[in-house]
Amino acid sequence: MKRFFAVALGILTAIGGFVDIGDIVANAETGARFGMSLAWVVVVGVIGICLFAEMAGRVATVSKRATFDLVRERLGARVALVNLAASFFITFLTLAAEIGGVALAIELATSVNYLLWVPIVAFLVWLVLWRVKFSLMENAFGLAGLALVVAAVALWRLGPDWGGLLHGATHPAVPEGEGHPTWWFFAIALLGAAMTPYEVFFFSSGAVEEGWSRADLITNRLNVYIGFPLGGLLSLALMAGATLFLEPRGIQPGHLSQVALPTVLVLGKLGLAVLLVGFFAATFGAALETGLSCGYSIAQYFGFQWGKFVRPADAPRFHLILLVSIAAGAGLVLTTLDPITITEYSIVLSAAALPLTYFPILVVANDPDYMGDKVNSRFTNALGSVYLLLLMVVAAATIPLMILTKAGS
Amino acid sequence: MRRSWVAVLLLVGACTGPVRSSEVYESKAGQTAETAASAVQTALLAVDAAKGSKAFGRYLTQVLVQAEEDADAARGTFAAIQPPDQRADELRGRLDDLLTQATGTLAELRIAARRGRLADLPELAEPLPEVAEELDDFAEAHG
Amino acid sequence: MAGRVLDAGLHLLDRQLVDKDGRLAGKVDDLELTFPEGGGPPQVTAILAGPGALSRRLGGRFGAWLEAVANRLRDGDDDHPARVPFAVVKQIGSAIDLSVAKAELETDRLEAWTRDRIIGKLPGANDAPE
Repeated sequence: MKRFFAVALGILTAIGGFVDIGDIVANAETGARFGMSLAWVVVVGVIGICLFAEMAGRVATVSKRATFDLVRERLGARVALVNLAASFFITFLTLAAEIGGVALAIELATSVNYLLWVPIVAFLVWLVLWRVKFSLMENAFGLAGLALVVAAVALWRLGPDWGGLLHGATHPAVPEGEGHPTWWFFAIALLGAAMTPYEVFFFSSGAVEEGWSRADLITNRLNVYIGFPLGGLLSLALMAGATLFLEPRGIQPGHLSQVALPTVLVLGKLGLAVLLVGFFAATFGAALETGLSCGYSIAQYFGFQWGKFVRPADAPRFHLILLVSIAAGAGLVLTTLDPITITEYSIVLSAAALPLTYFPILVVANDPDYMGDKVNSRFTNALGSVYLLLLMVVAAATIPLMILTKAGS
Repeated sequence: MRRSWVAVLLLVGACTGPVRSSEVYESKAGQTAETAASAVQTALLAVDAAKGSKAFGRYLTQVLVQAEEDADAARGTFAAIQPPDQRADELRGRLDDLLTQATGTLAELRIAARRGRLADLPELAEPLPEVAEELDDFAEAHG
Repeated sequence: MAGRVLDAGLHLLDRQLVDKDGRLAGKVDDLELTFPEGGGPPQVTAILAGPGALSRRLGGRFGAWLEAVANRLRDGDDDHPARVPFAVVKQIGSAIDLSVAKAELETDRLEAWTRDRIIGKLPGANDAPE
């Protein structure tokens, strides 16, 4: 029985923790502009993240070492350094976006300008990372993030034309009046949002933090294969809401308040309140994860002690990196650059960096020295290689498309 | 280093200086109309929510404030662009009319919402559907 | 350790150093090779770790920048990278296990400095994770 609850907790946490500010922005903006015609990208992204997160979790569980740790050993100091530079930069940008997202969520709840919340949010993020136990942190924010289910509930309550929605999703076509390059650009952004690099290093480092062992391999798989797709459904619920309410009216959501409109119109004040909790939990949880990932990546490359499983005094450089990253991220938001814009850039640049961050995982997961008998199956390798190819194409296309479409305007 | 600064200045200048091609000006006008239409439609949805008393006054006020800010910003950005020729002048005049109507009504809605007079919103929003439609038509014709 | 033939590049470089308490103590950034007095092939006498060591291996602009950072972080006028004598290496596996505690190694200088000057001063730094 206890085992069942542990597994259930893991799955629920995975669902609630899946969505972050990037997913919220990407799915709402895409739904408002292109309806459900890009829903397939979310499916592709979810399969991809499931594949690589399971791999990263397995690597950490079996070898007891986290991804970046092993990347340097396997690929050498130089290659790993390039990987680190790109990954850290993207993760840092995502951290700033999440901090901005939390501030926006609180602004939506309180009507107090988001800029005033940024320093408080940054302090709270740091404080939680300093004091709160890893598993408690993960479980609390993961479960609270489940509040976003209200977006799906709103859909169900509305009783929309499911056939129409499904048709739009299964017949991907560029809507009238929109250009193909823009459609593809949004597809790339959506993929970048679904497969954000930090999720993988966080997942693998988290496995070490929580001391997973071989017995936990099945749990790892269940969390990933059940939790993430359900989390993806939450993303699609946001997309569908935008499709039904924003697209027909030509509304382009540039504010979190607009993203909330579909839920508000169907479920009223209660729906809004629950959605706000969901926004807060999703973005705050992601801020914690990206903050930690900033520390994980650098510490694991250089080899100094990392992790919340030791006292802060035993991992001083790691904690210093956390502190500085959070402060710098908050600083970026305080330049009054629109947090939504920061988010948009973070997801697009994530897409450009995806092959760099995923390739080493595939390599490491095939190494019998670390994995013993738990190396990738032939199927996993085949699928993983296909995805790497896809990600390289996406990465190559990102910057040109961004320039061509003027970042999707 | 010097060359890149010159490039930046040229770029900035190009954004607000005279736009050579009147086609570019026309398409910018169309985009502005689209953005304004989006803001107007957002306000209409907020008013819908107010009618059904479906939302907290605070939330509605934020939506309306942001809608007004978006429309104002679009108007301001467009107004700073130098029209290249006479035909562009006419375009500018027509769009400005529509934008004035839009921002005026949005301001009234914002003021009422801030005062907590949510019951007044539907009446104040009456001109909006027509403005939205005209902005849509404009965007389609010139976007 | 006698009798095992290892490829230094493959099995030593970039490996994680783990101290006797299981704590992470840096990576093998470089190796110190000494030519024995009586002639013969060079011997690995120490592991070099830290930014000073890594910068030399990486080379290029990043290496030079890292070297500058390392010089700033070193106190006094010793300009050699942190050295872990090979004698304290207990076992070479997927990680390099050492027979001493981290604090006794030169590589801990920067970590200790960060702890003493910054992190250690924050309340709760010494609290064990509950």
